[in-house]
Amino acid sequence: MGLPLFSAHGDPGPSFWHYADLAGINRATSDVSDNPHATTVIAVRYDEGVVMVGDRQATGNYIASRDVRKIEPADHYTALAISGSAARGIELLKIAQLSFEHYEKMTDSSLSLEGKANYLSPIIQRNNLTTPLGVLPLLAGWDRSNLRGRIFEYDGAGGCYERFDFATIGSGSPFADGALRLGYREDLDREGALQLGALALYEAGDNDPSTGGPDFVREIYPMMVVVSADGFQELDNDDIGERFRAINERRTQSRGVAGGSLR
Amino acid sequence: MTNYFYVSPEQLIKDRAEFAQKGIARGRSIVAAIYDPGVLMVAENPSASLNKISEVYDRIAFAGVGKYNEFDRLREAGIRWADSTGFTYSRDDVDARALANYYAQHLGDMFTEGQKPLEVEILVAQLGNKLRPTKLYRVAYEGTISDEPYFAVLGGDADTIKDRFALAESSPQSLQTTLRDAASALAGPDRVFVASDLEVCILEDRGKRRTFQRLSDEQVSELLS
Repeated sequence: MGLPLFSAHGDPGPSFWHYADLAGINRATSDVSDNPHATTVIAVRYDEGVVMVGDRQATGNYIASRDVRKIEPADHYTALAISGSAARGIELLKIAQLSFEHYEKMTDSSLSLEGKANYLSPIIQRNNLTTPLGVLPLLAGWDRSNLRGRIFEYDGAGGCYERFDFATIGSGSPFADGALRLGYREDLDREGALQLGALALYEAGDNDPSTGGPDFVREIYPMMVVVSADGFQELDNDDIGERFRAINERRTQSRGVAGGSLR
Repeated sequence: MTNYFYVSPEQLIKDRAEFAQKGIARGRSIVAAIYDPGVLMVAENPSASLNKISEVYDRIAFAGVGKYNEFDRLREAGIRWADSTGFTYSRDDVDARALANYYAQHLGDMFTEGQKPLEVEILVAQLGNKLRPTKLYRVAYEGTISDEPYFAVLGGDADTIKDRFALAESSPQSLQTTLRDAASALAGPDRVFVASDLEVCILEDRGKRRTFQRLSDEQVSELLS
């Protein structure tokens, strides 16, 4: 790889993805369909940020892995979660992280949250329309110009939609969505959003065979992340374990159902 | 009938070198020095937005003097090279020496084959770790690459500034001392710089992957006072 110099009219600008296209770094698409997938990731807005909760299981014909990280910091103020093909999802994460940092270094300023959300659209579009290895991300972050948490979800064709309450991706979505629709309030605080997110994920893990719920035997718990004015923060494993043990305790008492209330 | 005048290779090189040196001498200088425990780069630059120093990678920084459009294009190429090398292999495989060599080759090519030589002088700084040493690579307009042991000066008035800095410091000092010495070496005996005259960047381990930091005017004032 030599020094990538461009003339002014052929210059790809600060976009790593466009540069990677020109330089042939972007990989060709394939049509292998035996890929681990299936997921539940939830994002919930609260008064001072966004909470994200995601399961840890990669599923093929059997459980491929129990400790996958499906939520990663795309940069200091942005969390990016993936569902669908593991290979393409991880690649998308890598491209997003690299692109946002690349832009920052090239221009000495960081992209706006909306800019980051829109940037992913054509990448998802091209991936999903050229290969069966579909990938659907969920982007949540702290908007530093509007001072609020924001959530962006995507459809399979790359369409980008802002959600003002909550969003879910992955095969366990219907179950998580049900819990969120019942439990969401506009005045949720950080703790309320964390509790609701954990409960919604527990529901998904309970009902969807491809979503890994809390694994008390191995002490592997779903990831819980908060993005606020302080940036991307991950809850530690013991804290998360306690939250899921509490839900599990309540469910044991009511014999596996919510027991007449959202708990 | 067209007349061709013979120009000896010696004369050609001399003319081109003079042209590049004149261009570089018009710009203001940069001092880069290793301090304990990092790398400091100080540019005389009254503009707060047209930067001469930039982050390239986790432990690599770029500094350029001379024509802004020319060294800025080299800076962009360096970031692209570093990001794509790290993406293709691993973040650990991005090495400042390789980048400095590419710059040297390009500047050398432009000097001998280009329409005109590039009127720039650049520096590639690397903060060391277990894999690699802390290094300052200086690349001149004609492609000469030098590995500066402790500090480097770029720009028109380099020799004088170099002597002034060498007189003040002979081994790595603290950030504050190094910055003060660099600022007064750049200023010379007749001037005193305030923070807004300077662009100051460092590479230093702060427990994070990215080590580059651009110091604000407030931070620089505090260190200079």
